[in-house]
This record gives sequence, C-alpha cells and structure tokens, in this order.
Amino acid sequence: MRTLTRILIASSIAFVVTTGCNKFLETDPLFTQDAENYFTNPQDYELALVGAYDLMQGSFMNIWIGEIASDNSIAGGESVTDTKGLHEIDAMTHGAVNTELRSVFRWNYAGITRTNYLLENKDNINFTGKDQIIAEAKFLRAYYFFQLVKYFGDVPLIVDERLGVDEVSELDRTPASDVYEQIELDLKDASEVLDWTNPVKGHVTKGSALALLGKVYLYQNKFAESATTLDQVIESNNYALIDDYNALFSVGNEAHSETVFDIEYSGLEGGGYGCLICLEGNAAPGFHGIRQYDGPVYGDGNSYNLPTQNLYDAFSSSDIRREATILDLDAFISDQSNPSEITYAVGGGGHTGYYNNKYIKRQGEIGLPDNDLTSPVNYRVIRYADVLLMAAEAHSENGTDGKAQQYVNEVRARVGLGGLSSSGDALTQAIWQERRLELSGEGHRFFDLVRTGQAENEITDFVAGKHELFPIPQIEIDLAGGIWDQNPNY
Amino acid sequence: MKQNLFLLFVISAFAISVQAQKTTVKGQIKDDTEFTVPGVTIVEKGTSNGTITDMDGNYSLEVEDANEAVLVFSFMGFETQEMAVAGRSSLDIELAPSISALDEVVVVGYGTSTKKEVTGATAKVTGENIQKLNIPRMDQALQGQVSGVAINTNSGSPGGSSSIRIRGLSTFGDNDPLILVDGVVYDSEGLNALNPSDIESINVLKDATAGIYGVRAANGVIIIETKKGSANSKPRVEVSGYYGIQQPAKKLSLLNAQEYATLKNEAFGTSGDDVPFANTDLGEGTNWQDSVFQNAAIQNYNVSISGGSKSTTYSVGGSYFSQDGIVGGDKSNFTRFNGRLNLTTDITERVKLTSILLYTHEDRKTLPENGIGSVLYNTINAFPTDPIRSTNGNYTYLEEVSDIINPIAQMENTHNNAWVDKIVGKEELAIKINDDFTFTNRAAYNYALVDSKTFSPLVWYGPGKAQNSAINEDLDPSLVEIGDSVFIERGASVYESRATYLDLNFESYLNYAHTFNTHHSVKATLGTSVFQRKGSGLNGTAFNIPNNSIEYADISANLAPGGYLNNVGSFQYEERLLSSFLRAEYGYRYKYLISAILRRDGSTKFGPNSKWGMFPTVSSAWVFSEEDFFNVEAISFAKLRASYGISGNDQIQNFAYRAQLNGEGVYVFDDVIQTGVALGRASNPDLRWESTRQFNVGLDIGIGDGFSFTTNYFIKNTVDLLFQPDVSGVIGSYGPGGQPPIINAGDVSNKGLEIELGYATDPIKAYGFGANFNMTYLRNEVLRTPDGVDFLPGANFGVGGNVATRFEEGYDIGYFHGFETNGVYQSQAEIDASDVIQEGAKPGDLRYVDQNGDGMINFSDDTDKKELGSPIPDFTFGLNLNAKLMRFDISANIFSAIGQEIIRNYERQQPYANQLDYVINRWVGPNTSEYDPRLTTEANRNTEFSDYYVEKGDFMRIKNIQIGYTIPKSSLEKLRMESIRVYVSANNILTLTNYQGYDPEIGSNGGPLSAGVDYGFYPQARSVMGGFNFKF
Repeated sequence: MRTLTRILIASSIAFVVTTGCNKFLETDPLFTQDAENYFTNPQDYELALVGAYDLMQGSFMNIWIGEIASDNSIAGGESVTDTKGLHEIDAMTHGAVNTELRSVFRWNYAGITRTNYLLENKDNINFTGKDQIIAEAKFLRAYYFFQLVKYFGDVPLIVDERLGVDEVSELDRTPASDVYEQIELDLKDASEVLDWTNPVKGHVTKGSALALLGKVYLYQNKFAESATTLDQVIESNNYALIDDYNALFSVGNEAHSETVFDIEYSGLEGGGYGCLICLEGNAAPGFHGIRQYDGPVYGDGNSYNLPTQNLYDAFSSSDIRREATILDLDAFISDQSNPSEITYAVGGGGHTGYYNNKYIKRQGEIGLPDNDLTSPVNYRVIRYADVLLMAAEAHSENGTDGKAQQYVNEVRARVGLGGLSSSGDALTQAIWQERRLELSGEGHRFFDLVRTGQAENEITDFVAGKHELFPIPQIEIDLAGGIWDQNPNY
Repeated sequence: MKQNLFLLFVISAFAISVQAQKTTVKGQIKDDTEFTVPGVTIVEKGTSNGTITDMDGNYSLEVEDANEAVLVFSFMGFETQEMAVAGRSSLDIELAPSISALDEVVVVGYGTSTKKEVTGATAKVTGENIQKLNIPRMDQALQGQVSGVAINTNSGSPGGSSSIRIRGLSTFGDNDPLILVDGVVYDSEGLNALNPSDIESINVLKDATAGIYGVRAANGVIIIETKKGSANSKPRVEVSGYYGIQQPAKKLSLLNAQEYATLKNEAFGTSGDDVPFANTDLGEGTNWQDSVFQNAAIQNYNVSISGGSKSTTYSVGGSYFSQDGIVGGDKSNFTRFNGRLNLTTDITERVKLTSILLYTHEDRKTLPENGIGSVLYNTINAFPTDPIRSTNGNYTYLEEVSDIINPIAQMENTHNNAWVDKIVGKEELAIKINDDFTFTNRAAYNYALVDSKTFSPLVWYGPGKAQNSAINEDLDPSLVEIGDSVFIERGASVYESRATYLDLNFESYLNYAHTFNTHHSVKATLGTSVFQRKGSGLNGTAFNIPNNSIEYADISANLAPGGYLNNVGSFQYEERLLSSFLRAEYGYRYKYLISAILRRDGSTKFGPNSKWGMFPTVSSAWVFSEEDFFNVEAISFAKLRASYGISGNDQIQNFAYRAQLNGEGVYVFDDVIQTGVALGRASNPDLRWESTRQFNVGLDIGIGDGFSFTTNYFIKNTVDLLFQPDVSGVIGSYGPGGQPPIINAGDVSNKGLEIELGYATDPIKAYGFGANFNMTYLRNEVLRTPDGVDFLPGANFGVGGNVATRFEEGYDIGYFHGFETNGVYQSQAEIDASDVIQEGAKPGDLRYVDQNGDGMINFSDDTDKKELGSPIPDFTFGLNLNAKLMRFDISANIFSAIGQEIIRNYERQQPYANQLDYVINRWVGPNTSEYDPRLTTEANRNTEFSDYYVEKGDFMRIKNIQIGYTIPKSSLEKLRMESIRVYVSANNILTLTNYQGYDPEIGSNGGPLSAGVDYGFYPQARSVMGGFNFKF
C-alpha cells in the first residue's frame, strides 16, 4: 500500500503541476515579428509612428463632406448613384446606411488603434527622442478623435489599449464631453513636448498642437481657453500669412510661413478606386477635376464637390478669393485663346458650372500612375489664416473686440480688403462670414455652420436637432452589439 | 491441443458404458486464472435439471444416471463446456474465456474495454481483414468496413492521400480525425508510412466517448494497434507477399480524330469562321489516353517473426512495397521500406516495459495531377488530330490552345522526387501496483525527415505555352534583368527542400479496476499528457544547372552567375498541448453501465483568454437482455447505449489569435514616401477551438450465435468555426492593409444513422460463411455563418471561372451553386416569345431558369443561381463477404455511395480542346436536342457553371475479391512449415456508375470546399494480384 500511496501522490502532483503550468503554453512564434512582440528598439517606435500618421490621409473625405453637407457645394459626379452617400448628405437625406460616413468612422478608429498600439507600449524601453514620438502620437490620437466627435458626437473612447471583439460588445458610446477632455489632454501633452518647428516636413509641431487645441476649444464654445491658446500660436511669431492667396494650394508652395498643420500626400505611388484609404495621394483634387476635360491648366476628373451659385454670390466681385476658390469654367474657357478647342462633359450627378479651384487637378501637379487618385497636393488642415480667424472669433465672443478686429483684418488685408470695424454680435457674424470667404472649399463650412448655430438657416432641408450630427453607421451599431442608441431623430 | 485431448476423453467416456445409477455430482468451477467463478449455470443435457455455482464456485447437482449424464456449464464471458459425468461424483471444471464477439477487446484510449461493456459508439477492423484487402494504404481498409467512416481518395496516384471523415464534415477547416498508432499521434498525411500488414487492429471512436482526447477529439479518433507477440510461444515466422499488375479501370469516351474534325468544323462554321479541317476523314487519329495510361506493377513483401517467453514477447518485421503509376509508370512511383520492433518485457513481476519502434523510408515520384495543367487534364483535352510526335521527331505542340501541352512531353520533363524517413515509437512502463491499480508512464516520439527535389529543365512545349521555361525550340534560356541593363540567363533549375518534424509526448495515467460485492464493477482512469510538436524546414532554388540535365540536378551544381536568381526559404513552428483527463466507469452486473469523462486541455494555439478548455462526456448503456423480464429466446444479447459530450478541434492555424504587423503604414515626409509599420490582422485573445457537441444513441443486438446488429443515431453539432467576418470599426481593422481578427463564429450540423449487420458461422468449422453489411445515412448542414459573411467561396469552375462551391447557411458544406437549365432554346421564335430575357441567347443555347423571377437571367450576379448538388453522399453502403470451403477461402468487399454529385471540370472550354463524345448529341437544329447545346466558337453563355456540368456521382464498386487456397498441413510437415496460403486477388474490378469521368470515387484537391470537383483526378487503378503467405 505504501508504494501505491507514493505513486498516487506522485501522480496527483504531476496532475496539479502540469495543469497549473501555464508557462509551458506561453510561446511566441519563432523568428517572427508580429504585433505582440514589437516595440523592442527605438526604430520600432519610429516606424509605428509612420503607420499612425497614415490614416490622416483619409481626411480628404473632410474636403468632401465638410463642403457638400453645407451650402457651399453639391456632390456632383457621374450620376446620383455615383458615391451615393455624398448625394444623400448633399440633400440632407442621409441615413444610417452610408458608405462614406462608415469610412470616416472606420478610418479614424483605425488611426486611433494605431496610435493606441504605440501608446500602449510607450513604457517598454527608454531612448532619446521617445518623448517626441509619444507627443506626435498623442497629437494624432487627438486629431482622429476630434474627427469622430465632430461627425458623430458621442463615440467610444479607447485610450492606450487595443480591444478584442468581445470587449467591443460591452462598449458604450462615451459622452462627447469626455472625449473632448481626452483630446484636450493629449494636445496639451503634445504641445508641451513638441517644438515650434520640425526639420522634417510633414511632422506636426507645437504650433499644430496648439492650433488644433484652440480649434477644439472653439468647437466646445470654450472661447476664453481658445483665445489664450490661439494667441500663443500667433504671439510665437513663427507664422505669417503669405502674400499671394492664389498660390496657397499649389504643390510648389508647401511648408511655408502660413502652414500650421498639413496632411502630406505624394503623387509617386499608384492606387485603385477599390481602396481609397490605401492611397498615398490626395483623392480629392482628381475627383474634383473637370469631367473629360481637354484643355489648358487643368486635368480631367470626376466633377465632384461642385461649388454652388450661393457660394459664388457670397463673394464681392472685388474679392480675389472668389476666383481663387471657385473656377467658373465657362468664363475660364472663353478667356482662353482657343475656346472652341476646349471640351469637357457634364456629369449626371449635377452641374453648377463651378469647380473647386483650391483642390483640383492641375497640369503640372499630376501624380503617377493613376492621376485621378494620386494628387500630391497636401491638405491644408489648419493654415495661419484659420488660426487668425479662430482667434478673432474667440476674442469676439469673449468681448475683446479689439484683438478680434486686428486678427480678422490681418486676413482681409492680405487680399486687399479694408478692415472691419464692427463690434459685438455684428463683429462675430462678420468673422463667421469671413471664415466662409477665406476657407471655402477646404472642408470647414458644414462644421462651422453647425458649431455657430447657423446651419438651420443656411442649409436647405437641415433639420435642427438632427443634422448637427451624422448618424452612426447602422452596421457599426450592429457589429458593436446593437446596444448603442442612434443619434437623435435618425 | 488441450481441446483435442478433451475430445478424446469425451469419446472414451462414451465408449465405456456403465450402468445407470442416481448420483450427486459435486465440483468447483474456476477460470483460466484459477479464480473460482460464482453464478455458473450447470444443466444436465437434454433435461431441465440444473443449478448454479455459489459464491465460491461450488455446485452440487443430482443426476439420474451418472454414467450417461452430460453436464453443460455456461457463464457469460466463458466458452460453454460440455462434460460427461462418466460415473464420477466429483467434477471440477476450468472454464475458458469465451472468444465470442462480445468479448472482443475494444481500445478506447488510455485503456481497453470489451464490446459487451463499451458505452460509446465504436467500430473495429481486425488486421486479418486489412491484410486480405491488399491495399497500399491503411485508411483504405476502413472504407466500407465500418459505418460512419468515409474514406475519399484524393488521388489514385501511388502514395496519394485519402481523406478520412468520421461522421461527416464539421468544418471547412481541418476535418482529419486524431490518429494514434500504439498511442503515438500520427497525422493523416503520414499514414502512407504504415504497412497495412503490420496492423493488429483499427478501432474507431465515433461518438462523444472519443472525448477522452478532449480538444483533439471532435473529428473522431482512430486507434491503430500494431502486431505484438504472445507470451510462451515458439518463434513464428511469417513470410508473405503479392505481385500484381494495375491498369486503368476506365478510359473516357473522347472524340476520335474524325469526330473531332467534323464537330470542330461545325463549331467554327456556325460562327461564320473558316473551318479548320478541309478534310475530316481522319479516322481514329491519336488516342492520347492509350499513350498516357500503361500497365504498372504493384508488389509487396513482408517478413515477420513473433513469439515470446514467459516474461518477454516480441514481434519484429520488415517489408517492402512498391507501386508504379498507371499514369507515368515509374515517374509516379511510390516505394516504401518498413522495419518494426515491438517488444514487451516484465522487468519485475509488477513492472512491464513496452517498447515500440517503427521505421519507414518512403520514396515518391509525382507528376502534376488533380488540377488544371495536370497530365490527365492535358491528355483529355489534347487534339486527336495531332500526332504525339511531329515528323521531325519532336513532340507536337498542340498549338491551338495555349494552356494545353503535350502530356507525353510533360511526363518526360517532370522530375519530382520526395523522400521521407520516419521513426515512430514509444517506451512505456506499466506498473501493476496491486490487483486494482496500474500506473502507466510513457514517452512517445514521432520524427520525420522529409526531403524533396524537383528538377525543372529548360522546356519548350510550343509557342505561347505558360509552362515554357525556354524561349524557343532550341531551348535557349530567358534573360533576366538584374540591374540597369544588366542581363543574365535563367537556365534549368532545381528546387530542394528538407523539413524535419518532431512530436514528443509524455503521458502518465493511473488505471483502477475493482469489483465490489461481485456485482459492482468500478473502473477509473486519471492521467496527464504533455505534447509538443516542432517543425522546421529549409529550401532553396538554384538556376543554371549544367547541360540542362537531371544528371547535375543538385543545388551544388548550379552555375547561376553571382547567385542572383537563386533563392532560399525557411520555416519553423512549435506547438504544445497540456492535458489532464479523468474517466470513471461503473457497472452493475454488466447490466447497467455508466461512464463519465472529463478532459482539460491547454494549447498554444489559443488566445490568452481561452488557453484552457474543459471537455466533459457522459455515456451509459443498459444490457436489457440481462434483465429477468427479457425472455426473447432468439436474442442472445441486447444493449441500449447513449452518450453526450463536448469535444474540440484544435487544428487551426498557429498563433491566429495574435495581431500581425502586415498592415500598410505609409506616410509622406519631406515629400518622400516612407514605409512604416502598421497593424494588419487584428488580435483576438479569445480565439479558441472549434467545439463539437455530439449526442449518440445506439443499440447492439446479438441474435443466436452468429448474427449481430448494431445501430447508432447521432446528432453532431460543431460550433465556433473560425471566420474572419466584418467586425466593428472600433477595433481598428480597417486601415490600409488591415484585416479583421479571426473569430469563432459559424455552426455546422451532422446527423446520421448507422446500421451494421453481421453474420458469421463458427470459425473453427471447416465450412464457414461470414457477412457484414453496413450502411450510413448522413445529413450535413451549415447552420450559421457570422453576420457579414453570406457565404465562403470554394472551388472555381473552369479556368478563372465562377465560384462553383460554397459554404453557406442552410446547405451542405461545399454544395454546388450555379445556374439551373431547363433545356435548349430550339428556335429564335422561342427566344423571342420567352418571358425571360437571356442576354445573347441564340437557338441551340442552354436555357437558364430565372430563379428570382425578375424576367431576366442575371449573369453579373448570383441572383439567378441555386443549389445544384452536393459532394456529400446521402447513403454509403459496405458489404463484406467471406466464405470457407475446406481449404479454399473467398472474400469480397463491395462499397457503394449514393446521393452525391460531381462537377465535370476537366473539360477545357476552348474552341480546339478535345471533348467527351456526348457532344455528338449536340443541338444542330430545331428539336435535335433538348439537353446538349449547340457547338459554336462564337460568344455564348453555355460555359457558365450550370447543372449541365453536374453529374450524379452514385456508384457501387467491388473493391476487392480474393480467392485463397491453404495447402493441407500434412503436406507441409516435410517442409517444417505450419501453413501455406496462396491467393489471387483483384482490386477495383467493377464499378457501376453513370458518372462519365474516370472515377466517381473522388476526394478533394483542396479542402472540404473543393470536394466533388473533378479536374481529371488520377483514378484508382484496377489491379490483379497473386500472393502467398508462409508460416513457419
């Protein structure tokens, strides 16, 4: 019996030991670098940061939706079913099934996931330059979340972690105010570390972070904080408006004194319509191009995002920004030496006679090899004029009209317009109007109208209490477990 | 010998007639291990006078006439004995354990049971039956032998594999059962290494009681035992072998040259093109099949020695097997050498060592097969109007179809070789602690070294052929630009690879068995298992082999300048499994039996949140023939069984739970595109096994002495299949290059009924007959795919054609999906009058059915497609017959499968490709054909995947017939031999089917979703063999 006892004990021990021995099962794939064993040397962080920047290139969608949803432009295109989602947004008939809105949702979360992946591993090792990388990653996360909160309001806030499928079904939408709080936190952290300049074109700077922070405050009507923050940018004297408004949107004129935050694109890599987020080029200019155009200056395109008569009429004829913002195609053709030889087609998706002259395919800026998709033109997300106008608006709302006038007039002076001298509400409204004139075609208008409460009056069929936010794509509600409430009235 | 003495004794007892007188006979009854046996029934023969033994095995019975009386001693589990009293008053008897079918040992995993006791659905094939089939590969032995097990031959080429499916397909992933050879894990690919003659038995665990193997048991478990020696026996030498000739069982009915030329002229003519043949009187032309197929040898020789002393048993053997292919002869050869040693020795009275070692060397040569571009595909489609060689002696080019090459040239230019060396074995120590406890510890290993070499000479099959590696007829190599205007030649190449695989498995388990108070039997098994599998490999390709010659076909011989073109690759992986298991069994009077199994498995394959799984099973049986109320004379044994349990399938990709860095992370800095790193496939820390829940209810009935009947009904639901469906964008999978995580979603159900009927006469008699019939009904259905996944696409039809098979909710796995036809348009008037617009239809075209009723046939989407069939048979039948007539024995095996369909996908739908001769019945004008469309080379929709290309796959096949003769022992004495048996055997001698292809018994050349798609499968050969079996 003693032997038996011994063996029984031995086998019980073996039983317990082996079943409890989790270590035996903790193996990594051999000689393989994957997401679970990454971030072991500084280069890993640098490369992951590049990956985190990548999703910003999806922001060309802003130039579309920010304009098309507003009174500035119509969807255009080949037909009303060509990019149907944009046409629905144009007509304010958009619902929860909308491919473009789903792209916005998915791409920005992909960007957030890439930054979170980096930030979740931020303490793995220490090295010189890590703070800079972390700061840029935080900026990017703030940018992606700001996009989401701007479009959809409450969105799940995920910080420094990647989620599994099962975790998503337990996730609620985070109140927009909490999301904003995280955005502010990230941008403050970033602005404390980043320098005003970065020798490598394309990296964000202290100015980018503060300008975005000022904008984020403005979107929350935190005018005092916004004014203070934007003043830092202005008073740093690192920025100045460039003289020639017409030269603002050319490839040859990037990274100048007015550049606060650009998203970089390249025309050197091809791509396909099947995966717009895979592009390294800016899809907007090609799509904005003139359909089957055969003539000088411009290239042919898909006639998207066509400015309205309403926008054209908003400019005074003496405002040079009208021609810089809007291409009046027939007028342009008749000005040419050979108008009869210039041909183009009108798309079935709508025609106004006007084209977005800021982001449009121009000869000399044509990417390779599919130039409809690969424009090298950067997206000027925040330029110094915008900083001045935001600061002016914040000051005006704060009642510091003098500064407000100073800033808005600096913008007007550049295009040869006289200064504003109004004050109070009139000044605020004049600044709003100035924003439209200065920034049209750049994807700000719809969000500005919503933010300032003008949308109901300015956008046909805009329903207050509904259209301030876009609907969360229904499929995303379903895939996240179906527990989220849709935005009001959708 | 014992028995003979006993007979003598009985006869002499009768001879001595003594006068009758009333006597009380007493005695004690023991079993062969000297234990007394209580409860034995003793009856005076021919009377109702009887008694039973008491607790100590004693009895006492008064008989009328002690000289005449004969007593019959019977007890379950023992041979019934008759003994004449012969005047004695004391008669002690030793009962021999019965060798009835009910006491047949069933191996159930970490222990054994008997057919009588077992509570699960199991099946067994004995080595004797396997040997008689003369098959190259062990798994073919299971086909038609047991119900619920389907064997599909994936290729009939020598060394080709089969797929083993126990109770249907439960996943679109890996459906292979767990295979254990003497307790060592074997993968089904590796089964070629086993010599069928070395097998003692194959046991199949079909239901949830396989759950003792937990996460690996979901697809069933096959337990193979190799031959062992027996104790206290003289060395027994066995030499056996067979030699046979194989030939194709069938050739396709293709068009001959004259038919071909006539029909091609018609096809081109109807399109308004110039006809290709000015003269169609071309006779038979080239029969490519006759040139490609050949008779081929198959041979097998075995020698084995087995025996044992009091404490040691041994079985040692060696074998040689070689099979040439009916396509390609020795270019498609499989040769195998086996050596094995099976040794048991009692180290002490209580400790037994079992040592098993199996060594195999395999050598296999292969030709391109089972797909587009295979030798048979080229053979079927080659033009009968072209000779094999043109007048200049070169092989013809078959120029008119760019992807059909001369199959004879192709065989000549193919040099594929693979070698496998495999060492499998275990060392096992079984410690008998006392009568109740046995403690077993074993270390098992499975090592394989797999080498391959492929030589690709410079070849020229004709202008524009994709398989060309030279640039012209003179075999000039192509030039490759390796730098700016720097070119080098790319000559003949050789690819070599070497991979090693090693499994190590340590297992310890404690078996307990005890019977309390006579009637309460308790058995238990408690154990742990640690399993590790490693694989690694290295491969390389080198170019510019000298002289374009196989003679120098080695990487070392390459003359590639600077090695620019040469390339190398490698892989390695490691997986581990950690398990513990418990089985408890209780039986009351062998009447009520209940068993419970619990296994816990942890595996490196699963995500950190799901590393461990728990797999429970319960099963029970009720032997109601033992009940007092049961008094059906004819039924000797009746048992009702039920089982339910959960098991898993861990055969999923390694590390699929981990996130990958294969995304695209590219951004522009300083106007330069800079490549970073980004998440690709997202992680799923919850990823786990596919889980199978199986319920089984079964009935075993024995009728009289010879009949047996077994039936099982099962419901097997597999859940948590692995998918990669759309997931919430919040997970962040939708950036460039991103992929959603692999998740567990999707369910499959298999339901079925199995019936086995057996009959056998007493094997000892000189004349005997045995029959075994089995039937399986199976219904497979996909129950669920995750949201966002409507279906998974499977195999393609034609070249770059439509997806023809699918994994979709509500259908069989891999069901066929395409257009339904309802005849042929007879006239333009009919087309014009039709309610349905079929774009481009002309008279003579197939008429498709408008499934969605929108008034038109939609060729651009799937809305007018429907289910056209399934590769899974509804019923399979097996019939095995054997008879013994004095010294002659005869056996036959018949297998049949009914209810499955096959896609005819070996026809290259090109203007010049040859065709099966059914096209002679084509439509040529109104009312000439309601079934076969017109022949034309103009654009048409007749080659869309439709039911026109789906055929019934029903078949019945005589797999094997064997007639043997055993030479009388008397004539062997001079030769000092124990027995000689010689036989002739024929495999695959007859197949009844309407299927037009080579062989209706086709497996899959790429997983469950490619099943039933015939690309010109390498068919199984018909063979006739002669063999011998000598025992010394």
